[in-house]
Amino acid sequence: MSCGDPHETDCRQVLGELWLFLDNECNRERGELLRRHLDECGPCLEEFGLEEHLKALLARKCRGDHAPDALKQRLRDSIREIMLHQAVLGAEVTVQRDDNGTIVEISTSTVESHAWLATES
Amino acid sequence: MPVITPWNAGGGQGVSRAVVTTAQQARYRIADREQRQPGFPSLGQASGWRVLSTINADLGMGVVGVMSADSAEPTQWGEPPSSPEGTVVPGVPQAAAQASPSPEADRGVEERDVEERDIEETPQQRTARFERDAMPMLDQLYAAALRMTRNPADAEDLVQETYLKAYGAFGSFRAGTNLRAWLYRILTNTYINGYRKRQRQPLAQPSEEITDWQLAQAAQHTSSGLRSAEMDALDQLPDSDVKDALSQLAEDFRMAVYLADVEGFAYKEIAEIMGTPIGTVMSRLHRGRKQLRDMLTGVARERGFLRDAEVAS
Repeated sequence: MSCGDPHETDCRQVLGELWLFLDNECNRERGELLRRHLDECGPCLEEFGLEEHLKALLARKCRGDHAPDALKQRLRDSIREIMLHQAVLGAEVTVQRDDNGTIVEISTSTVESHAWLATES
Repeated sequence: MPVITPWNAGGGQGVSRAVVTTAQQARYRIADREQRQPGFPSLGQASGWRVLSTINADLGMGVVGVMSADSAEPTQWGEPPSSPEGTVVPGVPQAAAQASPSPEADRGVEERDVEERDIEETPQQRTARFERDAMPMLDQLYAAALRMTRNPADAEDLVQETYLKAYGAFGSFRAGTNLRAWLYRILTNTYINGYRKRQRQPLAQPSEEITDWQLAQAAQHTSSGLRSAEMDALDQLPDSDVKDALSQLAEDFRMAVYLADVEGFAYKEIAEIMGTPIGTVMSRLHRGRKQLRDMLTGVARERGFLRDAEVAS
């Protein structure tokens, strides 16, 4: 699509890059070029406005879910519990799931390095 | 149960080194919501090596081995998650695996030589750092989990597992890297590796298919897309309608759109979180947004916020 007016950059090309511009993923030079185009081309600016609007709408309407307080408390308790084991034993922690819940494993290991001179007899 | 691993087992003259390891292990379960009991079992008695493959896979590390809580192992961004079994850690003596007391050693457990190193922070300090930096993002991660799993019960379990994994690996998280992206990556990998297999809802239609409904929608639009009247109509839609529409997108599209538009991640970060090239992210985003836009217009019309005349004009 082209609006018919002469532009430095073709409308078709601009429309193909609008999302990049909208997401702030253009380099500065390219961004400037697109910005200049949008300043002088009504139809492209309108299209950009719609894309921008949709992006903002998604951000506004799809957020705002809050984790249940019970989950927060449970996590804090678990983390404190693991920390106590770690503090006492220097443990490693692994987490996995099975059908009945989350399994936390705490392994402690003590590693000593020794170096000695070995002589072949 | 000590394991002694000589480094120069072949003999000869020179300095040899040995790594002496003792291991002890405890295991407890945090049940899901409905089965949860108050309190935790105390430290158990089991011993032996544990393969940290689960956590490594979900962190996208692709390395098998014992990961100590204060490990300095950096997260390997950009590397797609892969099955870590059988991966050999370079420079690690094979004898360690053979001498290991656990049957899991046969699958390629390697013991990394853990040098004595200065401990940078105590577990208490690490926990305080985690609670300060990671816990405030819980609501965000939960919202993302809801969009992924599409039901609150699974979302809660997914977030719980993600946070416990993140806490377990927090010692390997380097300050200065993007914590939010790191958490999202664990969330995404945990979801892909586990939850998707037992979804309580069927998956959305395959990405490549376009329904007749969508084709019909597309035919009604001019190439210039939505009119302002349509956007105004979309503004009137309740949040739940928009969330529902998002949840109907195929999973890969849904996650790309969510991460870009709701969470505001850059393409590069989304690529790291999803373990895909940037080009794939752009394509998913592009197509996902287009489908979503068509879908929302349809919903707005159903709700009576938009008359057909306005669409056709």
